Amino acid sequence: MKKTAAYDQKRRPIKKILNSLLPFVSITCLFLLWFYASNINPDLVPSPASTWERLIQLFVKPVNKMNLFGHVWASLQRVFIALACATVLGVTVGVMIGWSKTFKAIFGTLFELIRPIPPIAWLPIIIMWFGIGEFPKILIVFIGTFMPIVVNTYTGIRLVMPLHLDVARMFNASNRQLLFEVAIPSALPPIFAGIRNATSSGWMTVLAAEMIASKAGLGFLITRGMDYFDVPLILVGMLAIGIVGALLAIITEFIERLLCPWNKKLEQD
Amino acid sequence: MNNNNLLKKGRRMGDLKYMILSVISVLTFLLIWQLLVIFGVLSTRTIAAPTQVLVTFFEKFYSTAPDGATIFTNIAVSLKVSLTGFFSAIIIGTPLGMLMGWYKPLDRFIRPLFEIIRPIPPIAWIPLTILWVGIGLGAKAMIIFFSAFVPCVINSYTGIKLTSQVHVSVAKTFGASNFKIFRTVGVPSSMPMAFAGIRIALGNSWGTLVAAELLAANAGLGYMIMMGRQFVRPDVIILGMLTIGILGFIFTWIFTKIENVVVRWRTL
Repeated sequence: MKKTAAYDQKRRPIKKILNSLLPFVSITCLFLLWFYASNINPDLVPSPASTWERLIQLFVKPVNKMNLFGHVWASLQRVFIALACATVLGVTVGVMIGWSKTFKAIFGTLFELIRPIPPIAWLPIIIMWFGIGEFPKILIVFIGTFMPIVVNTYTGIRLVMPLHLDVARMFNASNRQLLFEVAIPSALPPIFAGIRNATSSGWMTVLAAEMIASKAGLGFLITRGMDYFDVPLILVGMLAIGIVGALLAIITEFIERLLCPWNKKLEQD
Repeated sequence: MNNNNLLKKGRRMGDLKYMILSVISVLTFLLIWQLLVIFGVLSTRTIAAPTQVLVTFFEKFYSTAPDGATIFTNIAVSLKVSLTGFFSAIIIGTPLGMLMGWYKPLDRFIRPLFEIIRPIPPIAWIPLTILWVGIGLGAKAMIIFFSAFVPCVINSYTGIKLTSQVHVSVAKTFGASNFKIFRTVGVPSSMPMAFAGIRIALGNSWGTLVAAELLAANAGLGYMIMMGRQFVRPDVIILGMLTIGILGFIFTWIFTKIENVVVRWRTL
């Protein structure tokens, strides 16, 4: 017994070191694979070095008069505008259909009918209606961000504890007070979860919109790479998309913690 | 007792009232739409009246204009693509997430790679996949795979991490091996979360399908609406959008039924 304990203690540090090394091993494997693949077919799989070169070149010789940051900003701007509109409108609509049964009957059903259509499926008809300017793109992102916000706000309002409402009623709260002082604050965590979902869904929708018709933005950048068979440019674009997407997720989570610190429920991811 | 019945009846009357209200609201919406088109407020070049969409729907049973396939062919093509990607994501993603959640070294090894792939939206893979694989079934299925893979892994991972430590300890006390605990305690207890992930994956894969078909296809529902735009056929576009929406809805419905049968014990 004693022996095994000692043995365990002796073995554990090695195991620990091995465990902590594993992430580096996997990243190294990935890079080795990348080098190997780029050696076999450098046209289809550019080496890390040439990807890096392409990134530098993007600043020296901008694509469509914009360097990487310009394209990132073009995409981000669309997402931000759409997200701001969607938050204001979506929370309002969500609260309304969650609070009043009449509103739910009138607008909820229509909303439920439209909701299963993926935002990207709106692209062709919106391009047909509004052309390929800035507004149609923001509109598509708006559709993509509006839906999750409404759904989550609605669910949040429906899930308000009846007990809390009853207590407020006992203290003679008006209907207005019930809504603004009990229901909405308690629905804030799901609303923020909705905004978080909306941000990632908006980031994806903006790419789709830009890939189909655009002259700026990261989606445009990677389609340009495809059209000109410029694989390093695609990789640079994808990396930028990934990094900005991850940053957006971190920022929204941070804001969420800041604004509703009482939300300590277990996160899904 | 009598009172209770009355109460129930009253509630049912209320439900009926709201049901009628929602039917009226949908009908009003359609009527306004129809009237706007009939009176020429909205041009028929940019939008089609609901009746026109219905007519087109029946026409598309046998007509192949303007995209070169009947609606059933298009549906079949889209279904094949999305289900291929979706099921391969479940088959690979869910077990992978569970194994990662259970076996630490595996987690440490795969996690960094996964975290690199995760923030890249599936749509961003489209150009690369087109160059690498072309625009066939495989390419689109691969894009859909990416969209469905991530939620499958994340949720089954979280699900198995949430396995009650007490259950694990009980199994350990009875001398179960690590793999047996994983199989008989971990996997079943992570099922509700895994299914929640698959549900997200289902929605994602259907949404991504449209994007994949808009950009690279020669048949399918997404291709149909894209052609509808090129030939200025708003009726075809709207028909395509509605078909996509209805099919998505049916999928979710079927999935909920399956979920209810498979994870009957879930309390979530």
